[in-house]
Amino acid sequence: MTESNIVDLLAVFSDLEPAANAIEHLRAIGVADDCMNVISGIPVTEAMLGRPAQWTNVPRIAFGGAILGFSAAYLLTFVAPYTYPYPIQVSTQAYVPGPPTAVVLFELTMLGMLLSTFLGVFLDSFFPNYRPMKYVPEVSDGKIAILVECPHMEEKKITDALKKMGAESVKPAEAQHL
Amino acid sequence: MSDKKAHSHEEHLREKHLMLDPLPRGKMNEMVMEAMMEPPTWKFWLIFGFLSIVVAYGLFYSWARLIMEGVGLAGVNRPIYWGIFLVNTVFWIGISHAGTFISAILRVFKAEFRRPFTRAAELMTTFGLVQAGFSIFMHLGRVWLAYWLMPYPNQRMLWPNLHSPLTWDLLAITTYLLSSTMYLFLPLIPDVAMARDRSTGWRKTFYKILALGFRGTEGEWAHLRNGMNIFAFAIIPVMFSVHTIVSWDFAAATRPGWNSTIFGPYFIVGALHSGMGAAIAVLAVIRGTMKHMKYFIRGEHFDAIGKLMLIISMAWAYFFFNDYMVQWYGGDKWTQLLLHFHEAGPMGWMWFGMLICNIAVPWAILWNQKWRSTPWLVATVGIIINVGMWFERYIIIPVSLSINRMPFTWRMYQPGIEIPLGIGTLAFFILLYMAASKLIPLIPVWEVQEGQMAHEFKKFGRETVVSVSELE
Repeated sequence: MTESNIVDLLAVFSDLEPAANAIEHLRAIGVADDCMNVISGIPVTEAMLGRPAQWTNVPRIAFGGAILGFSAAYLLTFVAPYTYPYPIQVSTQAYVPGPPTAVVLFELTMLGMLLSTFLGVFLDSFFPNYRPMKYVPEVSDGKIAILVECPHMEEKKITDALKKMGAESVKPAEAQHL
Repeated sequence: MSDKKAHSHEEHLREKHLMLDPLPRGKMNEMVMEAMMEPPTWKFWLIFGFLSIVVAYGLFYSWARLIMEGVGLAGVNRPIYWGIFLVNTVFWIGISHAGTFISAILRVFKAEFRRPFTRAAELMTTFGLVQAGFSIFMHLGRVWLAYWLMPYPNQRMLWPNLHSPLTWDLLAITTYLLSSTMYLFLPLIPDVAMARDRSTGWRKTFYKILALGFRGTEGEWAHLRNGMNIFAFAIIPVMFSVHTIVSWDFAAATRPGWNSTIFGPYFIVGALHSGMGAAIAVLAVIRGTMKHMKYFIRGEHFDAIGKLMLIISMAWAYFFFNDYMVQWYGGDKWTQLLLHFHEAGPMGWMWFGMLICNIAVPWAILWNQKWRSTPWLVATVGIIINVGMWFERYIIIPVSLSINRMPFTWRMYQPGIEIPLGIGTLAFFILLYMAASKLIPLIPVWEVQEGQMAHEFKKFGRETVVSVSELE
């Protein structure tokens, strides 16, 4: 199928229930889950819409960041003091004393984890993205939009199906600057 | 219960609870946008202008003088090397704890009443930490040498070991400032996207940049939800660590009055005490001055925060007494002298003022639900608690340093340039808040709508009760 044969339809629903029914119906008439995307103004879970769970790398990236933060703290506390000829002696404390080292390890591990969580949200969501995108502003007013990717020849069939399932409007989606 | 009676019971609950009184999302968006974009009144500009002058003189000019002329302008001298700068640092870090407490802890425990004011509290965290940062840099004096705190390769091949609580402070406060700012920003993205869809001109460009291209796709929500969950859990121990480490600045010293194992939790409870007090004062101002805010912020919210304030006040009293009791019982001569100096010395009025503001006033007012739900009254209690908590930090730092084991050095602390600088930080905090109220949606509308979707009335026999579904 070539790119020109594909059309994106944007159907707007007033509520969750008809949107969930429409997704079920689309699946029944042969539209794959990969060809649908739901846009909403609140975090509607996949289970509510009967959609497959979304894959997210955020927890993995966060874990990776925690390891990086811990490693940085390990280098600072355990390695760096011995690479210098004159480590400063504090009272009778060892060069690498336990309790202060625990503080540094904790803080830098948490910093690494939280920074990478933030970065993970950006990476997974492709933020920032200022290119034109398919969107309807009504979504932030509480409407639920379903973006359906389908072959050109099935456009009418899917449009009719979406209208039958209660869509307030169904139109070809056009990318626009948000 | 007859149908009519049940209906009026439902009406009563709707009036009382935001979560049971839903409006269409579009209407709520409109209300929040109107509140934010309403042209400022002359009173707003008057206060804004006045605060700008205070900031220009109190913060920037006075700080420039401190840098140019040196720390001799401040009242710190032997034996009081730590003065109001550090009092303010601890005070502002304390204020910042309310944001995390309200936003993260209440989110983790799914306390539904938190929803409309999480952002107002998170803003307090970030803006409070900015003032704390300013205060600690003022204390440094030669602020351009701040990088000496960092472990870095240097010419003398000295490795500044991370043994000092002040170095831990740097790590903890930096971690907390960065993470609380990120935690403020993540839930803000859907709301600035909403503002982007409804604005024109420079505001459109501003919100477009901040919204990062957010549309609300399933993937975006999934990543955001995961990120916010990780933040909500992880930022709690960071918050606890920050004020514990601040307390170690004192407790790690072998000084009478400071060398206490209970200082960590005592400081945390104190931080929550002042933070909640400041949060409720801010909420009362937002409710009283911004359009439509009476719909979003209701008596139930003041009641709920008032209860928390009462519990925290009791916890503070417990920790205070515990700290006092053990020191008093120890019988050490210098500690006894210090305790007597706190109560009966020239600053005794402040010590008693602290107890009145932190214990007597909250206990006298907050036990009563009606009083607790009255915005101006509970906000006044919040302000009084903050005065009390500032007194507490003043007593711990300069007052406790006034006398020591060398009586020939005893001296009372006379603050100098610290006073305009301290007032400057307070004015800057309010100024930032006023600017934010006109630039970002103070109410997280999507969180409110999510909460309203989860609440419904349910009949158990003849009783109508409120039922909450777990949607997350």
